[in-house]
Amino acid sequence: MKDFMMIFIGPDYGDLGLSPEEMQGRMGKWFTWHEKMTEQGIVKEGNALTAQVRRVTGKDRTVTDVPSAEIKELVGGYYVIQAKDFDEVEQIAQDFPDYDLGGTVEIREIMVFDQ
Amino acid sequence: MEPKLIDHLFRHHYGKMVSVLTRIFGLAHIETIEDAVQDAFVKATVSWTHTMPDNPEAWLTQAAKNRVLDIFRKLKTHKKHVPQLSTGPSAIALSDLFLDTEIEDSQLRMIFTACHPQLDPRDRIAFALKTVSGFSIKEIASALLTKEDSIKKRIQRARKAIKKKDIRFAIPQGKELPERNDSVLEVVYLIFNEGFHSNRKDMLVRKDLCGEALRLCQLILKREATRSPEGYALLALMCFHAARLDSKINDANEIIDLRHQDRSKWHFPLVKLGNHAMVRAVEDDVYSHYHYEAAIAAEHIKARSFEETNWEAIFKWYEALYAIQPSPSVALNMVMTQIQRGNFEDAKERLQQIEPADLEQRSYLYYGTYAEYYQLQGERKKAVSCMELALLAVQNDAERKYLERKKEALLEM
Repeated sequence: MKDFMMIFIGPDYGDLGLSPEEMQGRMGKWFTWHEKMTEQGIVKEGNALTAQVRRVTGKDRTVTDVPSAEIKELVGGYYVIQAKDFDEVEQIAQDFPDYDLGGTVEIREIMVFDQ
Repeated sequence: MEPKLIDHLFRHHYGKMVSVLTRIFGLAHIETIEDAVQDAFVKATVSWTHTMPDNPEAWLTQAAKNRVLDIFRKLKTHKKHVPQLSTGPSAIALSDLFLDTEIEDSQLRMIFTACHPQLDPRDRIAFALKTVSGFSIKEIASALLTKEDSIKKRIQRARKAIKKKDIRFAIPQGKELPERNDSVLEVVYLIFNEGFHSNRKDMLVRKDLCGEALRLCQLILKREATRSPEGYALLALMCFHAARLDSKINDANEIIDLRHQDRSKWHFPLVKLGNHAMVRAVEDDVYSHYHYEAAIAAEHIKARSFEETNWEAIFKWYEALYAIQPSPSVALNMVMTQIQRGNFEDAKERLQQIEPADLEQRSYLYYGTYAEYYQLQGERKKAVSCMELALLAVQNDAERKYLERKKEALLEM
């Protein structure tokens, strides 16, 4: 078993103008997905990120506060899960609820040094 | 499943669910939240009559999660005080709040909210019993021997204060914490006393109150930040008292005094728990009134019979207690102790210094003590007339019956 990170990239619900009804449905799906993975015992950790973004870039360390509306691809959160390989994580990621809104799941393996 | 079991499950879960949802939506929405949770229970009751879920607790937690979505929709109209749920993954953060440790944290926040200085001290218990402990208005009214209407008003007033002052749903930090901790312990202590000392007939409600106070105190002691020697002393005190709860009343709902209680009926596991708590309580050498009260209760528990009670030790603890809490009822207990030790002269001197009116509703205890004073010295007639005075002053039925039985016993002597 290896550790993988699923990074969730997608739009801000608010910016899409989703109705409360739609939000309710989406949250429900997220909860269901979370519970499914928890029951399987594969979730190691997970966190949601707030929409506030401050960037520090370049050798001048230029600081910008980026309004979330300007970011089409906002990292909204991540899960670290245990799985056999990329294929298995790909299967797990089928349940990600926001594909229809243009959302993306980026799968990355967590680096481990084995001597 | 028995109705009582569901009842308790609902009660305990009510507090949990309301606390978690408040953590998400904030205290400003507490009414909406409580209504939503109430609604979830109505739904549960209806659907459980057909099929009982395998894991009712999980079912209710799931129901609370579903409530999140409903409440969210309800609040969307007014944007202020609405949590940030701007992306799908925020569901990850919300889900975490339903973990056991996070639920406990939310409940602690609610306990500390109930004891916020902006709330009138009289409103705190009612609010805590409703919002933290999940008692119904009716149950609270009967537990506190108050009318339902006034309980409703107290809760309304507490909610209003919370909204008006925009109180944060948090455990205070820094200098604020010890002070708030004091009032939290006080509320727990009062809830316990309502259960332990009230003479209401319904033993179930009394046990519920005592049990709830024990549960809250243990919750407070679980966290390092809210843990204190006073808290441990309070837990010890409540354990020692609660151990005797069953033997305080016989099958006919009559009060049995300490002298006549069947000591083999005392609940030993609670005594053990109390002893453990006491060890932790005295790790610091600053003692609170809970410490002394626990020490006194422990002396009674230690004695194998009433006659073997170490009155000398008890008197010392009372002296220490009186030094930090000089109340007429402590003074009266000191008299009682002196009488048991046979120090009649000192007892009389002390009795003369107490003004029965200061004891308010408990002034009958003053006359009862006088009666005991005379009885132990063989002055039966004087004892009887004191008992008559006590009977004039007593307001509670169970206490009245107890005093009447004592008086009859005196007449038969």
